This record gives sequence, structure tokens and C-alpha cells, in this order.
Amino acid sequence: MRAFFPTALLIAAIPLAAQHGRYLNESRHPSIGKPEAIAAGAKLFSASCTGCHGPDGSGGARGPNLVQRALWHPLADEAIFNAIRKGIPGTDMPPTNLTDDQTWNLVAFIHALTGPASEQTIPGDPSAGKQVYASSGCAGCHAIRGEGALLAPDLSNIGGSRPLPVIREAILEPSKDLFYLGSEAVSVTLKNGRKLEGTARNRSNYSLQLIDKAGNLHLLRMNDVKEMAIRATSPMPGDYAKRLSKDQLRDLLAYLAAQSTR
Amino acid sequence: MRYCLLLLASAAALMAQVKHEDILKGPRADWLTYAGNFQGWRYSPLTQITAANARMIAPKWVYRVPDAKRLASSPIVYDGVLYITDTNSIYAVDARSGRQIWQWADPRAKSQGVNRGSAILGNRVYLTTADNFLVALDRRSGGVIFMKKFADEKKGTTSTSAPLIVKDKVIVGSAGGDSGMRGFVAALSADDGHEIWRTYTVPARGEPGSESWGDLIEWGGGATWLSGTYDPELNTLFWTTGNPWPDFAGATRKGDNLYTCSLVSLDLDTGKMKWHFQFTPHDTHDWDAQSWPILVDTEINGKPRKAVLHANRNGFFYALDRVTGEFLRATKLIDNLTWAKGIDAKGRPIEIPGQDPTPEGNWVCPSVKGATNWMGQSYNPLTGLLYVITLEQCGRYNMSSQVPKPMSNFSGGGATEEGGQVIIRALDPKTGKRAWEYPVTGAGRMWTGTVSTAGGVLFTGDDDGHFVALDAKTGKNLWHFNMGELSTASPITYSVDGKQFVAIASATSVFSFGLFEPADPATPPITTVVK
Repeated sequence: MRAFFPTALLIAAIPLAAQHGRYLNESRHPSIGKPEAIAAGAKLFSASCTGCHGPDGSGGARGPNLVQRALWHPLADEAIFNAIRKGIPGTDMPPTNLTDDQTWNLVAFIHALTGPASEQTIPGDPSAGKQVYASSGCAGCHAIRGEGALLAPDLSNIGGSRPLPVIREAILEPSKDLFYLGSEAVSVTLKNGRKLEGTARNRSNYSLQLIDKAGNLHLLRMNDVKEMAIRATSPMPGDYAKRLSKDQLRDLLAYLAAQSTR
Repeated sequence: MRYCLLLLASAAALMAQVKHEDILKGPRADWLTYAGNFQGWRYSPLTQITAANARMIAPKWVYRVPDAKRLASSPIVYDGVLYITDTNSIYAVDARSGRQIWQWADPRAKSQGVNRGSAILGNRVYLTTADNFLVALDRRSGGVIFMKKFADEKKGTTSTSAPLIVKDKVIVGSAGGDSGMRGFVAALSADDGHEIWRTYTVPARGEPGSESWGDLIEWGGGATWLSGTYDPELNTLFWTTGNPWPDFAGATRKGDNLYTCSLVSLDLDTGKMKWHFQFTPHDTHDWDAQSWPILVDTEINGKPRKAVLHANRNGFFYALDRVTGEFLRATKLIDNLTWAKGIDAKGRPIEIPGQDPTPEGNWVCPSVKGATNWMGQSYNPLTGLLYVITLEQCGRYNMSSQVPKPMSNFSGGGATEEGGQVIIRALDPKTGKRAWEYPVTGAGRMWTGTVSTAGGVLFTGDDDGHFVALDAKTGKNLWHFNMGELSTASPITYSVDGKQFVAIASATSVFSFGLFEPADPATPPITTVVK
């Protein structure tokens, strides 16, 4: 069976579930968001935590990824504080003897590491990044504030809803992580002979909700579909690591990190 | 490539979009504005479901709204997509299958609170967040087009109502009146959210009407937490206003407290108040006027009138001339009414002395929830009847002697709600008299609205989670379905591919119903997974 995917079909596999964010119960502790506390926490982290959690918090053999978790449920800062202080029984995470201030510094660092990119200080030039965004064809699939296409996840609030490492990974390794329903590229042939392709915003054995490249929604009964091809991996091109220079990537990340609707 | 882009642009331009004229026509297959039409009728011309075949109604799908606990949203429907809101969030659902197409949520919103619905124009759906952002999203993808702040939550204002879109304006209201704030209605640009006008419902010091207040005028309330209605011919908006603050302690605000507990008529282009009518001067029972101002041309007192009908929480059913604001008539909406003998010739209540809240508590009917409330009423032009959810309930009203402090959850006292019977009443606008009534089962909570159709059916809820269909002419029960939890929202009706659906939100989910059809066994397509 022929697949109907044009090579220009770029769809990022940024997990929709991440839109829940993690600050439903925002901590009011004064260390959170305070640059000195974050810097002090970073020192503590590199001295004591990187052995298990990796230098950027992305996990290692003994400790989980702190930045990108499979389930993106909100985690209160108090819960992180308690995990550092008391450890997590039954795991390799030990209790610590850090003072309250030290522990809050560490929480402030982890909060910053895993918090929305728009709230962090990000290196790079956002206006140069905007040019990279335009010249790399991102708007062929993504939209920012109504500008662009509707096939791939909307990026208007990408910096306001995702930590920087998550955005970086979505660009460089789009098919690495769980591939979520809502971003699947599909093509279908209907029983009446009509062919459609685009993104399955949802599908079941009984219905298919498809948005095409022109932004039309097709709300189909599966009984009207004769053939369907589903792409197993993200249709977002996997070669941006090669295509973009280091500076271009840094600037693109700075531009995306600045995209916040608040 | 350039050719491709041009082709795309022209295809996009040709795609269906919602125009003002579409909303103006009122519901057909779609349901484009909170109350169905600008006149606030919650009436649909759809006729597939009738009083004769309503016994064949069956559930078609249920959509569980993620994390929802107490939905108060009335859906809108356009081009086969149903939009339902919850606190700081909105969900687009395939209106035929109930499957989610997209969701948008703002976990960074700085307030929580109920949300009553969305609005649609062009390719955008609009809602407000509890911390007073107007949000415009692409109706197809849920992508943000703009978010624009229109009020400050730090001044006690929050936002709960569905926006009303008229022409190029998004009309928004304000909530938070029970804790001190200054109510307003504002017109924002549908294009980018900028403010076009804002009309306060409590005057500033020195302005006309400010003499009806005391020292707390800056926090006087008069919230506008329900959408309003619109008369295209008069180019006029009709909006109701909430109670004065502190709710139960009137001593600090001697006077009528204009323009609280009122109906105000506003020019669409400028927001200028054309007239106001105050139902409950100097309210001390939290009887907001938040119940629908319904626009009907009918004969009243033997004379044809452009009327606005309004069933008020204070227990009376009013008819006003909507051109001039002239009081035409008031009749009793409920039987248990102890605070006023009636309404005088100018429309002012003839109050019975000694009905204010006291430190010991004062027994008054109706209760603090009022004789009716914000749930959608329905006017059916074929039966000529207005359907109103009413509550026969009394309560004990207490007054606090504490010094009022704004934004501290202080309302000047409190009130109990004891027992209570919800009754759906069909009222004749010509006379104000009841054509029929239908007492429902339940605990006297009263939060399910109505929709009625040209098929002669009135859809509403019992007070205990049953969704019911009644004969719109007689009030006879035709059908019922147990949703398993109380509904605090109003139903709508729509059609997809010629099939009529009726949808309502329960506390956690949207239910959609239609006429029974035998099952259609699934024949899955030949599926290939492309590596």
C-alpha cells in the first residue's frame, strides 16, 4: 500500500498531555524563581544529584528523568522538598542532611529546570530564532497566534507550557518519546473514492477526526473509510540536528521559549 | 511553492466561517450563541424529535470533560463540532460521535471558578478565563490567536459568563459581586480583544446615581455574571445586574444602590445606558437580577408591545417595554413570597416592613437562591409560552455586624436554604399567568435549564440528575433518562447530517441524545502502519 505522506509534512510529537502543566498548586516559597537560590541550587545539584539524575536532570542508570516524565502530572514544590529531605523509601533516593534553606535552593533549581521555558533565562537571540523558524519551514505545519498551518501542535504557548529540554528534544529527536494520539499522520481512502490526508486529532474503531493541510476538519465515520495508513513515527523531520547549526538551534530555542500566551 | 501557498490561502478563504448574519438567523442545524438566538429564546426550529416520538429518544454518546466537577457550561455547535467549557478550559468534540478533537486549558490562570460557555465568530471560538482574559482560539485546532486581559482579579473581578458576540464585538461581563467589586459590561474587539467601551453598573462618586450609595460605593457590586440579549432593530443590548455589596448588611449603603438588581439597556456601538429598571431597590437578600431578559413582541395589557420579559429572583415575573424601559406588568412567579405585597404601578415593590436580615435571623421567602436563577429559560413562539425553572423555598437571613472588608469573602451575613420544591412553570407572556406547571423530584437545588423546539418538546431536568422531555403545550412528561448526577447547566439541540441531537452537561460530562436507531456494526478499514 502506498503511503500518502509528502516529505514536507512536518508534525512534531510534543506530548499533548504536557499541556496540563505542573503548577496547579504553585508554591509560594520565596526561593522559587529567585536567581540566587537557583544558582545555589545548581551547585548543590551538580555536587550531589548528577550521579543519578544526570547533569541536566535527564536521568541516568539509577535515577529517573526529572525534566520529562512519562506522566506529566503536577508535582508540588513541597513534594519535591520532602523527597529531597526524606528520600523515597524502597528506591535508591536517599534522605539528605541539607538545611531548610539548602533544600529550598535545590527545589528552586529543579523548579526552574522543569518549569516553563518562558520563565527561565534562556541564551540566544529570539529575533534571529524567528528567522530560523521561518526559513526552516516550521510554519508549514505549526501555528503561532494564528499564523501558520494547523496540522501540527500549536506553538503559541510552547515556551509557557514546556521546559526547555522538552522543546529541544522535540526538535532534535521528535520520535524518541511516546508518540501521542492527536498528532498521528494518517491518510485515508473513503468508500466513495475520496482521499484525505492530514493529522488524526482522534480516532477509534468507529470514527476519525482528521484535520488536513488546508485546515479543514473531516469528522468521519469509520464505516465510510475503506483504507487507512497510519504513520508509526512523528512526521516531524528527524534531521534538524544536522540541518541547524549550533547557533541556529540556540536562537530557535530562544524564540520558541519566548512563546507564551501569558 | 508560491503557487501552493496561494492555493492554500484561497482554499482557507473559501472555508465556512461563522458570520454575524448566521448568528442573527438563530439556531438551525448549528447552535451559535449561548441562548441560541440574540433574543434569549433557547428555542430551535428542529422538528425531527416531536412530542409524538420523544419516547424513542436514546443516548448517543457521553463525553467526560477531563477533571470536571461541576460543569455550568451550555455548549455551542458549529459545523459538526460541539464546544464545551470548564474552568479556564475548553474542549472541542465531534458532535456526532462525542470524540474529542482538541482541548485547550490554561493551568497558569490565577483564579478558579465556574465557566458558563463560549462564543464563535469567523474561525475563532472565544471564552474568558477566571482571571479575566478574553481568549480567542482557532475553532479547528484550538491554537491560541490572542489572549487579552480585560479586568483585574486583584480588584475582586472574575469572569464566569459566556461572551456574547454581536457584529464585531465580544461583550463580556464581570463576576465577584458577593465579595466586593465594581460591576461592568464591556465590548471588546473580536479582532484583537482591545476594549471598545466599558459601562459600569455602579456609578463613580459624583456621577448620577451615586447619591443612592454610601461609603462603599467603590466596591458596590452589581456584577454581570450572566450573558445578555440583543435587539438588532434597536441595536441595543439588555443586561441584568447583580446584588449590591455587602449582600446582607444594608446599613452601610443606604439608598436604592443603583444600578444593582436591575436590567440595563445599552447602545451596542457606544455602551451608553439608554434606560435602567431596578427590580429590587436596596436589596438585602442577594437577589441578583441574573435571570434572562427575554425579548418578545407580544400583546400586553391589550396593546402590542416590544417587550422584555424577566422572571426575577425576588419572586416576581416582569414585563417591560424594551424601547423605553416602561414598566408594564408584574405577577407572582412563585406562591411562597413574604417580603412584598406586590409591585406598584411604577414597578417598585410594595415591601412588607421588617424583612431585612437580622443578627438573630429573619425567615423570608423566597430563599437566597431566589425564585429562579441563571439557568436558561425558553420561549417557544409556537406555543407562545415562556418556560421558567422556579423554586418554592424559604430561608433564614442573618446579618453580620462586622465592619465590611472587600475581597475577604465577607458578604455581610448569610442565609439558609430550607427544604424547597423546584417547579417548571409555563407562563403566558400576554397575561403573566401560568399555563401549566411541572413539579420535579429532588432536593430543592434548581440548576438545570431548558430548551424547547418546533417539534413541541421542552427539554429540561428534574432536580436530581434526570434529563426529561415534556410536551411543550401541556407539560406532560414524555421521556426521562437518569444521568447519574445533577446537571447545573442548560441543554441545547442541534443536528448533524440531518439527525437531531439534544445535548446537556451533567456535573462532569456532556450527554447527547437522539432518536433510537438500530446499531450499525463496525466495519474497520484496511489499516496499514507505515514505519
